[in-house]
Amino acid sequence: MNEINYLLAAMLVMTVATYITRLTPFLLFGKGQESSLFNYISKSTPPMVMTILVIYMLKDVEYLTFEIVYTFIALLVTAGLHIYKRNALLSIVSGTIVYMIFVQT
Amino acid sequence: MIRSALTISLPILFGFVPLGIAFGLLFQELGYPWYFASLMAIFVYAGAAQFMAIGLLSSGIGLLEIAISTFFLNSRHMFYGLAFLESFGNWNLRKLYLIFGLTDETYALMTTIKVPKNFTKERYYFFITLFAQLYWVLGCTIGALTANALSFNTNGMEFAATALFVVLLIEQWVKVKRLLPFVIAFIASAIALLFFIKHMLLVAIILSIASIVLLRLIKIQSNE
Repeated sequence: MNEINYLLAAMLVMTVATYITRLTPFLLFGKGQESSLFNYISKSTPPMVMTILVIYMLKDVEYLTFEIVYTFIALLVTAGLHIYKRNALLSIVSGTIVYMIFVQT
Repeated sequence: MIRSALTISLPILFGFVPLGIAFGLLFQELGYPWYFASLMAIFVYAGAAQFMAIGLLSSGIGLLEIAISTFFLNSRHMFYGLAFLESFGNWNLRKLYLIFGLTDETYALMTTIKVPKNFTKERYYFFITLFAQLYWVLGCTIGALTANALSFNTNGMEFAATALFVVLLIEQWVKVKRLLPFVIAFIASAIALLFFIKHMLLVAIILSIASIVLLRLIKIQSNE
């Protein structure tokens, strides 16, 4: 197979596979599916997913190195600013700048 | 409405553009024309899967393997739609696009924010989803185009995605104010990290949902 055709085929396959994962719940559960248990699940999932995503992002930080120290500082800046000001953009940009300064020096 | 959606989606910009640039840079090492990085961002639109694809493509692996790995890598998305069964509205092109654009970041943002009262939910979500994808396409394109000429040191910029999730975690806490989901997710993550580190995300999500269902059922039983 020609290189570009291979890439195009791979992209098609990936597009379909990704779309199927995102479409599945909408096909399985109609709109009328509002049992109280179901409601409870869909209400509890966002806080759980957010917790898991944060841990996932931090899972590769090497402990007992300087990396864990500056990652912690950057997290503290992000969270602290956010609790104080509740401005998402400000918290994210500040935390990231702090992190970048540590990484690049 | 468009301006409000733009403002509220800006945190995603800071997560997506640097990550997209990183993707574009790496993708260029495969030696394809730059615009294939943009096409990937437009059609595949899945961060983790695109990064994985770079590795798979360079090894010339079969299409079936690519399909299966993509499917499993993204299977956590199967749980994301649950939050939007109602709010994505009726079946139409917009709903199909909203589903297409349901990434970690849009899911996180849209489950956290409150849609302003005078706006239709699905239209508001549509613009957020559209802007988010634009940021991603922009990032991937910049990365691929500047692969040979980049002078700005982007090291550490990837922290923006972590910071975004931290901010949304705090917002979730403000919104939910129940400790249980956070504790369950924390324990589930620890278990997943210890035993299933390769599939940590998916295992942790399944464990969390299973636990919360179990606890709920026990509670309903004991109330009867």
